Amino acid sequence: MHIAEGFLPPAHAIGWTIAAAPFVVHGARAVVKEVRENPESTLLLGAAGAFTFVLSAIKLPSITGSSSHPTGTGLGAVLFRPPVMALLGTVVLLFQALLLAHGGLTTLGANAFSMAVVGPWAGYAVYRLVRRSGGGLLPGVFAAMAVADLATYVTTALQLAWAHPDAASGFAGAAAKFLSVFAFTQVPLAIGEGLLGVLLFRVLVVNARPELERLGVLRRTPEPDQAPVPEPTPGGER
Amino acid sequence: MTGLAIDDAAWASAWRLRSPADKLLLSGGLVLAALVLPAWPGSLLVGLAAVVLALGPARVPARTFGRAVRLPLAFILIGAVTAVVQVGDGGLGWAPDAAARAGGLVGHAVAGSAAVLLLATTTPMSDLLPALHRMRVPDAVVEVASVTYRMLFVLLTSLSTIREAQAARMGHAGIRNSYRSSGMLAAAVLTRSWDRARRLSDGLAGRGMETGLRVLPEVLPSSPRFVASTVVGLAALVTVSVLA
Repeated sequence: MHIAEGFLPPAHAIGWTIAAAPFVVHGARAVVKEVRENPESTLLLGAAGAFTFVLSAIKLPSITGSSSHPTGTGLGAVLFRPPVMALLGTVVLLFQALLLAHGGLTTLGANAFSMAVVGPWAGYAVYRLVRRSGGGLLPGVFAAMAVADLATYVTTALQLAWAHPDAASGFAGAAAKFLSVFAFTQVPLAIGEGLLGVLLFRVLVVNARPELERLGVLRRTPEPDQAPVPEPTPGGER
Repeated sequence: MTGLAIDDAAWASAWRLRSPADKLLLSGGLVLAALVLPAWPGSLLVGLAAVVLALGPARVPARTFGRAVRLPLAFILIGAVTAVVQVGDGGLGWAPDAAARAGGLVGHAVAGSAAVLLLATTTPMSDLLPALHRMRVPDAVVEVASVTYRMLFVLLTSLSTIREAQAARMGHAGIRNSYRSSGMLAAAVLTRSWDRARRLSDGLAGRGMETGLRVLPEVLPSSPRFVASTVVGLAALVTVSVLA
């Protein structure tokens, strides 16, 4: 759910751009540092950006009968960490505004704040919490993706409520209105995206184990000559 | 055909060879005008200007433009109606100036979206990315964005091919199957993107290009006439909107 072009008053558009800027700059610094140390990571990061964009083209069947599109920010946060996601998410939002007419240019700051900053950080925080408290990889991924989605939706609803407060009940009333209107699509989407994450990681653990180890999502398995490598079992990761 | 109608329109547009800076000035001016000017008649004029310029001189197909404008409309309408519904003690009702406020919101948003689309349907992303470089965005970031742009079409093609194959094998029959297939689809596209990146990186390193994918930007000279018309047109638009 992106705020459309022109939907926020000028002061809000500028304010959210300023609010998102430090996170995006921090992400850009992380990317510049990464590229300086490993030049080949330009291509991997570009691929990650392209994948995040393409993920939004996957249609998830929804229980309510309609279909919705995953945002992929929780997945990006788990795979590439929130600072990098702040930058990649903003690049993807710019592309979505200019290639899909989804979102806008003056609302890019507000959308980046909700989708590239709050979503990934909230998703990653919950992921770390689940992993640290002994939860497995798959519960962690489910929580990260669902929470990233919910956090993005709640932030967007609050941004809209702040920009367009209710005539009688002010910000609180407007927040209740926007949260409930978008809950119809966003809550099933968050659960759906969490499920998609679990299904995706079950495949990745089997098919792309070296990549997940390199990204630090899975712990490296001992070398074959030091210890026997157990067969990877989907869902069995700790 | 690349699979993204707006991108196709941008490459085929009659304004494709105009300087990106000129088009940025025009669209940026219209976007700002849509945001700042009063909805009546400012938004109407901005919207009209964007549509007339896109369908007229820029020769963007009306169907593509119409479809693209429709996309954000669902959000705009739901958002505008939600904004003007009032939550009071007696339940839900319309805010006192509901029609005017909703009209203003829809006007600003539709005009702004049309102005962004004017840029999007006339300027391919690869022309806009060098502009980021001039805005002092670090080279590494612009390169990552360029690779993203170049790779997303390959991945979109992979996505539709794999989905078609899944659908042909009843992979999307029923919600349960559909979720399982979507998970496998996302995993396949992700691993393919890594594979592509690795192969591209190996190929470039083999040719001695270890710092990335440097290409010469196409030189598209600015047209003084276009810039002058833009400035005069925007000034007229602002004057009429403020005086009306």
